[in-house]
This record gives sequence, structure tokens and C-alpha cells, in this order.
Amino acid sequence: MNISGVISAGYKSADGKRPPTLLVVSASVVAFAALIPVAYLLIRSIGVGSEWFDIIWRQSTAAVFGRTFLLIALVTVISVIVAVPVAWLTVKSDIPLRRVLSVASVLPLVVPSFVMATTVIEMYSPKGVLQGWLSGLGVERLPDIYGLGGATLVLVLMTYPYVLLTVRGALRRMDPALEEAARAMGYGPVHTFRSVTLPMLRPAIAGGSLLVALYTLSDFGGVALLRYQTFTSTIMIQYQSSIDRTLAAVLSLILVAIAVLLLLGEGFTRGRGAYHRSTVGAVRVSRRINIGRWRWAGAAVVGVPVLIGLVIPVAVLIHWLVRGLLNDQQLLPLLIPARNSLYISLLAAVTTVLASLPIAILSVRFQSRLSRFFERAIYIGFGLPGVVVALSLVFFGINVARPLYQSIWMLIFAFVVLFLPASVGALRSSLLQLNPRVEEAAQSLGRSQWRVIFSVTVPLVMPGALAGGAMVFLLTMKELPATLILSPIGYRTLSSSIWSAASEAFFAKTAAAALLLVLVAGVPTAYLTLRGHSDGVDESDRVDESDSQSPAETAEVAQ
Amino acid sequence: MKMLWRRQKIDISVQPGVTMGVAGSSTEAGVIELQGVECSYPGSDAPAISEFNLLVKPGEFVSILGRSGAGKTTALRVVAGFERVSSGYVRVGGQLVGSSFVHVPPDQRRIGLVFQDYALFPHLTVAKNVEFGLKGLPAEERRVRIAPVLKMVGMSGYESRYVHELSGGQQQRVAIARALAPDPVALLLDEPFSNLDRQLRTALRRDIKRIVRESGATTLLVTHDREEALATSDRVAVMGENSIEQIGTPEDVYQNPASAAVAKLIGPCELIPGVFRGGVVVTEAGVFPTRVTTDIHMADGQQALALMRASELEIVLAGEEGQRTSTVEMTEFEGEFTEYSIRLDSGTLLRVRRRAADGIDVGSRVTVHTRGDAKVIVFPV
Repeated sequence: MNISGVISAGYKSADGKRPPTLLVVSASVVAFAALIPVAYLLIRSIGVGSEWFDIIWRQSTAAVFGRTFLLIALVTVISVIVAVPVAWLTVKSDIPLRRVLSVASVLPLVVPSFVMATTVIEMYSPKGVLQGWLSGLGVERLPDIYGLGGATLVLVLMTYPYVLLTVRGALRRMDPALEEAARAMGYGPVHTFRSVTLPMLRPAIAGGSLLVALYTLSDFGGVALLRYQTFTSTIMIQYQSSIDRTLAAVLSLILVAIAVLLLLGEGFTRGRGAYHRSTVGAVRVSRRINIGRWRWAGAAVVGVPVLIGLVIPVAVLIHWLVRGLLNDQQLLPLLIPARNSLYISLLAAVTTVLASLPIAILSVRFQSRLSRFFERAIYIGFGLPGVVVALSLVFFGINVARPLYQSIWMLIFAFVVLFLPASVGALRSSLLQLNPRVEEAAQSLGRSQWRVIFSVTVPLVMPGALAGGAMVFLLTMKELPATLILSPIGYRTLSSSIWSAASEAFFAKTAAAALLLVLVAGVPTAYLTLRGHSDGVDESDRVDESDSQSPAETAEVAQ
Repeated sequence: MKMLWRRQKIDISVQPGVTMGVAGSSTEAGVIELQGVECSYPGSDAPAISEFNLLVKPGEFVSILGRSGAGKTTALRVVAGFERVSSGYVRVGGQLVGSSFVHVPPDQRRIGLVFQDYALFPHLTVAKNVEFGLKGLPAEERRVRIAPVLKMVGMSGYESRYVHELSGGQQQRVAIARALAPDPVALLLDEPFSNLDRQLRTALRRDIKRIVRESGATTLLVTHDREEALATSDRVAVMGENSIEQIGTPEDVYQNPASAAVAKLIGPCELIPGVFRGGVVVTEAGVFPTRVTTDIHMADGQQALALMRASELEIVLAGEEGQRTSTVEMTEFEGEFTEYSIRLDSGTLLRVRRRAADGIDVGSRVTVHTRGDAKVIVFPV
């Protein structure tokens, strides 16, 4: 018996079905590949020996630790404070322009952090536009934008949509009868919100906060431009400035530990209550609440984050672009980075979807301890900051996979590891909607399991595969740290071109590339995100799992 | 037993020379044979079916009738090959396909399966759905072969439609055509009418009975609807807890249920306690002449349960003294008949079905008799 035979013989799924051997083998390959970065990082750090403690206890490490946590806490809390009212107002109230605002409030998500940071600096820095306007009014000096304040502003603007999306989804799925029951028992509207609605939203808020915290932990571009040193940017500096990369490796491992802690913490907040709908049947759409003369105030609450997070940044970019074009700035040098970006994004999307197929099919159709292990293994990418994956692959490339090092395949590998969860999530929800009887019907008509996968399963989950692939494509286009570390020397993409111009403060030069990135990557992201979350009916039709949202579905929204 | 299986068969066999269907099957062996089969789902202690025995003869239409959760769908999935058995033997077309050590996968069993929710391929047209099981044949030949099948189910002309463009009943027909097209050894139907509304259900039931007869396919149907089981099949197998309690023609099972449990499943009835006294049963509702079924021998003075069916009972207004009387609690006018709910003194409710003519009304005191020369069946307690 060969190895594959042994693997599939040991495979016992929960309902006693045995998956085709080839499926198990390919899923194992993907899962183990996804584990390479963390595994290699561990090996590398263990080799360090006692230096470990010195690094961890070093004064500067503790300071970075403190700064990172402070930023995470601030960004998360403010995001929740901004997002929950926006979610409630856009779902449950009758504010004017509700539909437009509802879409627009998610859109700041599409602006990459390094682009957001450049526009924030342009607007609010001591020499910025706002200062120019205000000096006429006698304001001498705005508070310094660099540091904690600016980093928080940038990150809140681009991450509050995560909380908004999850909370909005929960609000839509929530059975209006629950609130009505509370009202019938004599609770006022405010009391009802506090004692029924808010507790029901707890898992959604926790899930969204997790995404915010993980993103904040992993962001590099935004914090670096605003000169706030976090773990991620420290690792980046260590990597770029010193020849001995041990410190970077150890710090990366600590970063992984923090991500794991955040993931565990989110699971903890869920508690033991059940949050899914207690009854079956169609979701009744609750009536929107008339908030009367507060309507315009409500619209303003939704509108302000949109103004600061979307309208102003885009306006700044357009302003730069127009000014640049008037000064005969050339757009041609952008062609090659744009082509490179498209090429690697397409490659990453196709590879990631192909890699996620066996994992998704196993986890939905042949649940077992092994399939759950595979699923967990690929979630690593979900918690892992891009910088860690990239660094680990550098070590791996130099020491093990020499031929891959400095080739775009290493970069693609990093993207696959990072974005597998998003793609698996999309495929999983497609598969969950597919009645397993359809596949059984195909088998009873004389096709082997393996052929059923190709003739029935794959064609039917094509929409999910396309959505997942599109998501990976867009995430790849916007990705910065892994692109910077792993791109072959001289290989420029849109994001790395923007970065190199921005880090030398030639902000205006980045305008064309940044706008292109926002348009090419951002607009479809917005479409996909909204499509997946806007209509509540679609969501509730899914086969409900016991948890309110699987990590894969959460991951689908992430990054 | 009715001889329904010498029927003309439409020749749509896929592989010439291999006659897997009914025609030409000369052995008396069953097309589907389950012997002492046990099957359990991982994670649950109790088996879904155990000591399950069933033999379906060539060309026969057998229904398995049981409550939901009794394991009838499991039995069907065992035959189809989607569940492995932990003991016993499963034979299809005379071949051993399932036991504790053999498991032939579903794709090699040549069984036509019609699912409860049809499970049609949403990405394929009607024609492609029906062709799906005919792989290996040239496209032209497949087209030729599916024509008679589609005609048989009354779906000619719908070839290029997609599944979502069809009504529930039409989807059902396509599902049957798809299952029949590769000329399966046997046709399995899993609650085929449960997704349809009542009127459509009756019409389609008749249609399916006709289609199955025309095709000559050996058929096993699983249902929880007694009318469905009784009206469609040559034989009915009544399931108790995870095994078959009684099997026979619909008339036989209805007339002579082997146990109180079977009686309850096979038709609406009440079981009231009494004492058996040589040819009669004495109950609180009255004294009724009994009919001892072939399997049951009762001793004089034995405690018994009397099977009371609404259509076999009659009530008259209480007149003479000394007779047991009961109260009419409710009447439900159903058009042709009126159903009377009779409250016995112990609180048990009896139902009597009769034409309303006399002045029996809610509140009347009545005595209960058997209708005409009907006799009641008794079971030992």
C-alpha cells in the first residue's frame, strides 16, 4: 500500500463516507504547505537558544509591545464606537439617502493603508491643507498628526467597515420578533436596544473587532508613514537594516503569539449562549424605525466617516493627479508596475482557488478530525501578518528552497498562504448551499466520486470559486509588506511603486498609481463585499452551522 | 399475491447483452435482498436499522412505510450504497454488494434513485440531466435513448429547459426519467411526494404508478404516508423501530395487521383495552364480536386491545336501560360523511364515521356497535 492509500484508509469522516484518495492527498499537500512559514519560523527561532529571553526582555521590545497594544486597543474600541451606530442607522432607521450611505459607509475599506496615510498627512499635517485653511482663522498649529493620533485615525478609517459589515449582517439576520417581544413586555426602545439587541450583536461585534485587531497588528504601510513603531514595522526595520535576521525571526514569532491570543480571545467572548435564530422560516424584514427630527443628525453620523475616509482621500488623489498632469508628469512609467500587479494577482488568484478546492470539499463533504485539522492549518494565514509569512519564506528560500528564492513563485506562495482563508471561505459557503443529494444522484448514476467532483461539484461551486478568486486577486493587488520583502529585485508592482514614492514623501507622484489601485482593486472589492453581505435573505438561506459565523466566513471579509 | 411483474418492458438497456432489469430475469431470487442488515451512524449508539430483512422480487413495487426516524431512508441508502452496513448482507440483482467486509460503491450498483428533493443538476438542462447516467455512449445515441423515457414521464418538449424553470411536479418527473434512463436494476424512491401539495400529490402518485408499470422496473418506495404506500404498491413493508414488522399486500396488511403498532401505522384507529371472551371482546364502549387474525391466538379471559376503526363502527341513540352509553363530544361534517368524536367514560376518544341523518348531535348519549357484520381485531396486551 502506498502512502496515499494509508492516508485515506486512516480517514474516517463523521458520516462514515470515505473521500477519494487523491482529494485527501492534495488537501494534505496544501495544508502542510500552509504550515511551512510558521514551522520554519519556529525552527529558526529555536536555533537561537538563550538569546530568546534577552530579546524578549530587552527594554525596546517591551516598549514596542506597549505601543502595539495601545494602538490595537484604541483602534478597536473607536471602530466599534463608530461602526455600531452606523450599522444600526443604515439598517433600522429611516435616515435620508439611506441606500447610498449604506454602500458608501463600507467603501473606506478599499483604500490601502499606505494610500490613506499619504492623504491623511497631506490634509492634517502641520503643513497640510487643513492647517492652511485654519491659519486664516487664527489657528496657529494643529496637533501633530505623526505618531499615535495619526496612526489611529488612518487605521480606524479603514477598519471600521469590518465591524460595520459583521454587525450589519447580524442586524439583518436577527429575528425582529425578539425585539418585538421585548417591546410587548414593556421595554422602551432604548432599554430594548440595551437588553436585547446589543447582547445579540455581541458575537458580531467580537468577530468584527477581531478583524480590526488582526489588521492593526499586521499593518505596515500606514503606521510606517505616520512614524508610529509597532511590532510589524519594527520587524520590517530589523529585516531591512541588519544582516543578522535572528531578531526579526524572534519578533515575528512573538507577533504570531499575539495573533493567536487575539483569536483565542474572540472565541472566549462568544460565551455559551446561542445566537442563531431560534426558529426556522423566512426572515421577516423588520420595519424601519422612524427617528423623526433626528433623521439628518443620523445621516451626519453615517456621513462623517465616509467624508473623512473616502471622499477626502479620493479628492486629494485627484487633486494631485490633475496637478501632476498639468506639470507634464509622465504616466508611462506606471505601465510596467501595473502589468506586473495584474499578472501576479491573477496568478495568485488561480493558484489559491485551486489550492483551496480540496480543503473546502473535504471540510464540507467529508468532515473528520483530519479535515478539521486541514481547515485549522489554513486559517494560519488569517491570523498571520504578511510580514511574518514573507520573512519566514525568505529564510525558507535561502536555506531550503533556493531555486524559488528571488522568483515570483515565492511571492505567489506567500499570497496563497495569506489568502487561502478568504478563498476557502467563499468556496465553503458555495458548497454549503449545494445539496449533497445532488452529488449522490450523480454517483448513483454511475460516476465515481472523483468524477462527480469534476462533473457536478466544481461546475456548481463555480460562482463561489470566482468570488473567492476575485477576492484573492484584489487582496494581492493591495498587499504591501510581503510584496516588498519577496519581490525579485527590480520587480515593481503598483503597491511597491506607491510605497517607494510615498516613503520618500513624493506623495504627489503616487497619485496616479494610487487612484488606479483604488479603482482596479477597490471598486470590485466593494462590489464583492456588498454582494456577500447586503441581502440578508441570501445569508440566511445558508445551511446554518452551530456557530454564528465560521472563521472562514469571517476571513472572507478580512484583509 | 398479484402477478404484476409479467409486463412489457421498454427496451432502453444501456449495455446490450447485459439485461439487468426485469425482463429475462428467471430466478426467483430477489432483485433487492437485505438479510439481517444492521447499519448505524457514527456517533450514535443505537443502530438506525438492525435485523432488517426484505426481499423485493423482480418487477415488484414494494413500499416501506414507517414513522419519520424509523430508519426507512437509511434502509434505502443502504441499498443504494451510500451507507455501509456493519452486519448482514445486501444483495442487488443477485450480487452481494454490502456486508461487513464488502462494499460496492454506489456508482457500481446500477440503481436508479429518486431523492426526496429530486436533487436534479441545476447546471444542466432537462435533456442533459436525463443523459447524465448514459455516459460512454455517443451523443447522438444518448439523444435517441432519452426520447422514449421523457415521453413516458410526459416531459417531451422540455429537453432544453433548466431545472429552475420547471414546477415541482415536473422536476419530479425529470428525476424519475433520469433514474430510469440507464435502465437500472431497481428504482428507489425516497418520499417522492412529500414536497408536493396535496392535490398534485394524488395526481402524481397515479402517474408514477403508471410509469413504473410501463417501465417494468423493480421499485422500492419509502414513505411515511399510509395512503401513498397502500395505493401504489404490490406489497407494503411496515417498519417498527428500525426493522420490518410486517410485509404483505396492502389489503392483507390493512385487514390483518400483525400488531397494534402496525395497525396504528396502516390506518387511523383507536386501540381500547378490554377482555377477550370466546369470540367477543368486552370493553367500556360495549361488547364487540372479534376476528382473531391468523397470527394471534388469544385465551379466554385474556386482557386485550381492541382495534376500533371509524368506518367499522356505528352509533345509535341510547334507549334501553343497562347498556353502556357514551357522549358525543364533537361532530365534523366532511361532506359525504360526518365524523363523530365519542368520549368514553374513561376519557378515551373514539371516532365513528357515518352518514349524518338522524338526530344524533353534540351531547347525545349513544351506544357503540360494529357496523353490519364487521368484526374487530384484538391484540394481546
